[in-house]
Amino acid sequence: MSGVAQLMLLFIGAALVNNILLTRFIALCSFFGISNDMHTSIGMSLAVIFVMMMASTATWMFYYFLLKPLGVGEFLYIPAFILVIAALVQFVEMYLRKYSPALYRAMGIYLPLITTNCAVLAAATEAVKPGFFKMGIAYNFTLGENLIYTLGVSCGYGFALLSFTAMRERLELAQVPEWLKGSPMAFITAGLLTLGYIGLGSLFGL
Amino acid sequence: MDVMLIVKAVGALSLIGVMSAILLATAAQKFHVDIDPRVQQVLDALPGANCGACGNPSCFSVAEGIAEGRLLATTCVAGGQEVADAVATVMGQDTCVVATVLACRHCGGGTKAQRAYVYGGAHSCNAVDKLAGGSLLCPNGCLGYGDCVRACPFDAMSMDERGLPVIDLAKCTGCGVCVTECPRGGTGLLELVPESAAVVVRCGSRDRVKERRAYCPMTCIACKKCERACPSDAIHVIDMLAVVDYDKCTACNTCVAVCPQKCIDVTGRASRRSATVTDGTAGDFEGFVSKSAAQVEEAEQA
Repeated sequence: MSGVAQLMLLFIGAALVNNILLTRFIALCSFFGISNDMHTSIGMSLAVIFVMMMASTATWMFYYFLLKPLGVGEFLYIPAFILVIAALVQFVEMYLRKYSPALYRAMGIYLPLITTNCAVLAAATEAVKPGFFKMGIAYNFTLGENLIYTLGVSCGYGFALLSFTAMRERLELAQVPEWLKGSPMAFITAGLLTLGYIGLGSLFGL
Repeated sequence: MDVMLIVKAVGALSLIGVMSAILLATAAQKFHVDIDPRVQQVLDALPGANCGACGNPSCFSVAEGIAEGRLLATTCVAGGQEVADAVATVMGQDTCVVATVLACRHCGGGTKAQRAYVYGGAHSCNAVDKLAGGSLLCPNGCLGYGDCVRACPFDAMSMDERGLPVIDLAKCTGCGVCVTECPRGGTGLLELVPESAAVVVRCGSRDRVKERRAYCPMTCIACKKCERACPSDAIHVIDMLAVVDYDKCTACNTCVAVCPQKCIDVTGRASRRSATVTDGTAGDFEGFVSKSAAQVEEAEQA
């Protein structure tokens, strides 16, 4: 298979087939927490795409240029990545506040939340620890593959979050039985949505 | 045990930690942003309880809004005059008088009002209103799908069996969210009135009287009985609709007694009556008891 096709498969596999929210159930806290409001969801999705891309690039570099040469990558990657991601997000927040107030207003309040978002750590970890979350497609990614893969994961996160938010906003207006209102209905919706995503499981044999 | 491995692990983590610390410390200095000092001063003047009674998420967001000039110095509902004065001092403004307002509904039609068509779509007033101007024949009546109830941040509103939103005046803070949310809020269906308001006209229709009477049994018929009966010249029929002048109203409830349509209600936080009890038209709905002003007085004294 050619290189470009391989990258496209990697993207689709990460975004749809192994959707981080609905197939692997990572980062569900934000999935249920902020999916009431479309405006918030859009801000969160953009911020996640932004932070994930940067965080996984940084962690990839730290892994291959620091941890692996020292021979401690095998067991030290999680604490090291948490440190790197937390510091990076804080730094970016300060930078945005100074040089891009518009961007800061758009996603500033979500950045500190994302520091502790498990999806970011999951994407960063999978790039260097193949099969950690039982992904069939992960190998030792190069930096380029890592970027495509992370873009796929974060776009998948945004896509799932936005579609779920749209459904919840519509459900607000539906006449749901009293005992199903709110969270119960959200969980049922999420379950049905998950069924749809799991149905993509055999797509391209990924 | 490989001692070197431990040393390397500790070294690597420490290195990352120290690098992050230096990076962040440098960035904090280099990217320092000066914020308006008045934000902190206004924040200090506010109660700081983050109660949300003004309709804003936190005292900090209010302080920011006031400093930027988006919000008024009187924004804080809980603080009242004292806080407003302190905030005004910080902002270099003259002291301003706090006028507490409450929401009130100018419609008594509910399920009695005739519909133009049968609607089966999304359960939302804003959706119905976009469909051929709403399912009601009345252009100003309450559609009854409860957008205001869902929007109320203080759980002060509820839909009753008459298909009308009832406002619990004990909980209402006058934040105005319901008025903004209501598709007919701009035309006066929901309105903010002074806290001292004692009577309210439960009709806001701007249609012609003849047509109003044809589709709604609760409407104001512009008979001017209230206007003639009022001892303080506070209620007038303007454009075929009774309108109360709250500056002149003395809460004598004469108009409530004379209204043949029972379209005028006693209300108000001062009288501590919930809107359910005092809806004048309530008697025409099954399961509701209409009480005249005198009956309410009696019940209160008992």
